[in-house]
Amino acid sequence: MSPCREQTRRRPVAEPLITLRDVSRWYRRGVDVVHALEHVSLAIEGGVFAALMGPSGSGKSTLLNLLSGIDRPSAGEVWVAGRRLNDLSEDELAHWRSRHVGLIFQSYNLIPVLSAQENVELPLLLTAFGRGERTRRAATALRVVDLAPRARHVPSELSGGEQQRVAIARAIVADPDLIIADEPTGDLDARSADEVLAILRDLSRELAKTVVMVTHDPRARRWVDVVFHLDKGVLLGTEGNDALARAPAHGGVT
Amino acid sequence: MKFLPLILRNLARNKLRTALTGGAIGLAVLLVCFFLTMPAGIDVFLSQIASNVRISVHHKGGLVYQMPFAYVNKIRAVPGVVGADGVTWFGGAFEEEGHVTFPSFAIEPEHVAAVWPDYRIDQIALERFRSHRDGAIVGRQTMEKYGWRVGQEVTLRSTVWPVALTFRIVGEIPNARAPLFWFQREYLAQAMRARGVSLDIVGIVWVRVADPALVDGVMARFDAMFRNSAAETSAETEKSFFTSFFGSLQGFVTIILLVTGLVALCVLCIAANTASMAVRERAREIAILRAIGFGRRLIFTTLVAESTILATLAGGSGALLTYAFTAAVKTTTGGWNTELGPLSGFLVSPGIVAQGVGLAVVVGLVAGIAPAYGAARKPVATTLREIF
Repeated sequence: MSPCREQTRRRPVAEPLITLRDVSRWYRRGVDVVHALEHVSLAIEGGVFAALMGPSGSGKSTLLNLLSGIDRPSAGEVWVAGRRLNDLSEDELAHWRSRHVGLIFQSYNLIPVLSAQENVELPLLLTAFGRGERTRRAATALRVVDLAPRARHVPSELSGGEQQRVAIARAIVADPDLIIADEPTGDLDARSADEVLAILRDLSRELAKTVVMVTHDPRARRWVDVVFHLDKGVLLGTEGNDALARAPAHGGVT
Repeated sequence: MKFLPLILRNLARNKLRTALTGGAIGLAVLLVCFFLTMPAGIDVFLSQIASNVRISVHHKGGLVYQMPFAYVNKIRAVPGVVGADGVTWFGGAFEEEGHVTFPSFAIEPEHVAAVWPDYRIDQIALERFRSHRDGAIVGRQTMEKYGWRVGQEVTLRSTVWPVALTFRIVGEIPNARAPLFWFQREYLAQAMRARGVSLDIVGIVWVRVADPALVDGVMARFDAMFRNSAAETSAETEKSFFTSFFGSLQGFVTIILLVTGLVALCVLCIAANTASMAVRERAREIAILRAIGFGRRLIFTTLVAESTILATLAGGSGALLTYAFTAAVKTTTGGWNTELGPLSGFLVSPGIVAQGVGLAVVVGLVAGIAPAYGAARKPVATTLREIF
């Protein structure tokens, strides 16, 4: 049984963790106006592992930036974890992200001068935790991704798969509601990619984290609960459990 | 403080660049501190050599003009005056050393002890000076410079008077900072009389008064005495006199301070360039930090702190090196360098160290502000779009 089908037994919670209502995002590039997203509405329940799929330029990363509070919509509403992100300033969004979002990037993007342990501790520097607590939590996060023995190694001493697992540990160390992954397997071989996808699935299944991932990798379908297909800034439809990815209260899946 | 390890790791990222930038800042601060000792050195030098009860009286038109010698006795008669000595510039050139000149004056030997008691000239030497018409007492610095000894004969050709006189050194002025050469006024007067010229003029009258509180009143009295005469006078304290006398050094000091400012500006540009390069190279990392929740203010602060910490550490090292260097120079030269003269004070005061470190802090802050602001200002989504 695929992980996707296995998840269908889970009961959806009453309030979606993520709700987008008629969201559009356009920006200027020189004299042109680029319409990156147009009238997208969707809702994702808490604890779901979702994938955004589509060709290059389809608006996946733009949608990911909106969900993670990195960017704000040109029109429409973005609600995440009960908060309307449209209203938040750049600094308020940064603070909100530090509490609610864990980010994983394609190229790992660890700080090269810090050890794995110190990289994982970075989001905790934004909290009130003392040094001891930060160290303990980072060690726990590294154990979750099975990298505790490599805690003192700097990124250049780790393989690509290990670096991405450190990035996952960094994303989860502050116990966020939402984990955002932008092509987390893009730079990995098949075996490392499966390891990373398995970790993300486990985070969703066992720790009830909501994971939203952009991917081009068709194998990812096996691991996720739901897939959103985008093209040319438009949400074409969903694949998987409709109950986990349903239409928002005032609008439908476009 | 919890961000300090991150800041320090970033500083250690490119050790060569950090070392070179820190070295440039440290060297600049060293130079600045070193230069700043010079004005302070002059001031202290003037305080050391200038008595607060000694007054110079000279022609109002300047030192090149002479006053009647009769003024000296009138000045001595003013209440509060302990002693007065008429001094005439001889401008002697020592031909054996290629016509070098040093301050040589014809003075009245019987008044030396009253006017310059702080010079602590040996009483026996003073007695010999008074009793030998061709006697001269010479500053220790000049004695050492030319290898002269008491009892030696020295011939100086005047650049002012048409005479060359041979002197017998009868004593030493035990002051390493006084390159003086004093001889009897009467010796010069005799030589001039032999040429049919009466020496009835004087260049400066040095006066010592009994009490510092009397100085202002006595100076006013002198100037009032000779007002509306053919040779009006200008009286000033010894410190004021030497300050004017070393006016050319003040100009030199101004140039030094100007160069100091330019050095500071150069190092500021170097530090700013380094900070810009560091921020540009780490644009991706900064974008990631901002994405995971580091606010604009925090990014700005850590980047400025980075350049400020580097500059402060380097500047502090530079200031301490200045202290060590000047202490070494003072030890080896005894605090006086003949070539540098009053500029060789090398007094690294806590104020100068503070100015050096302060300069480094400002360099660090200013150098870091522009790139840090650039990194923090741009919306994180825009930065990520540009980078990824």
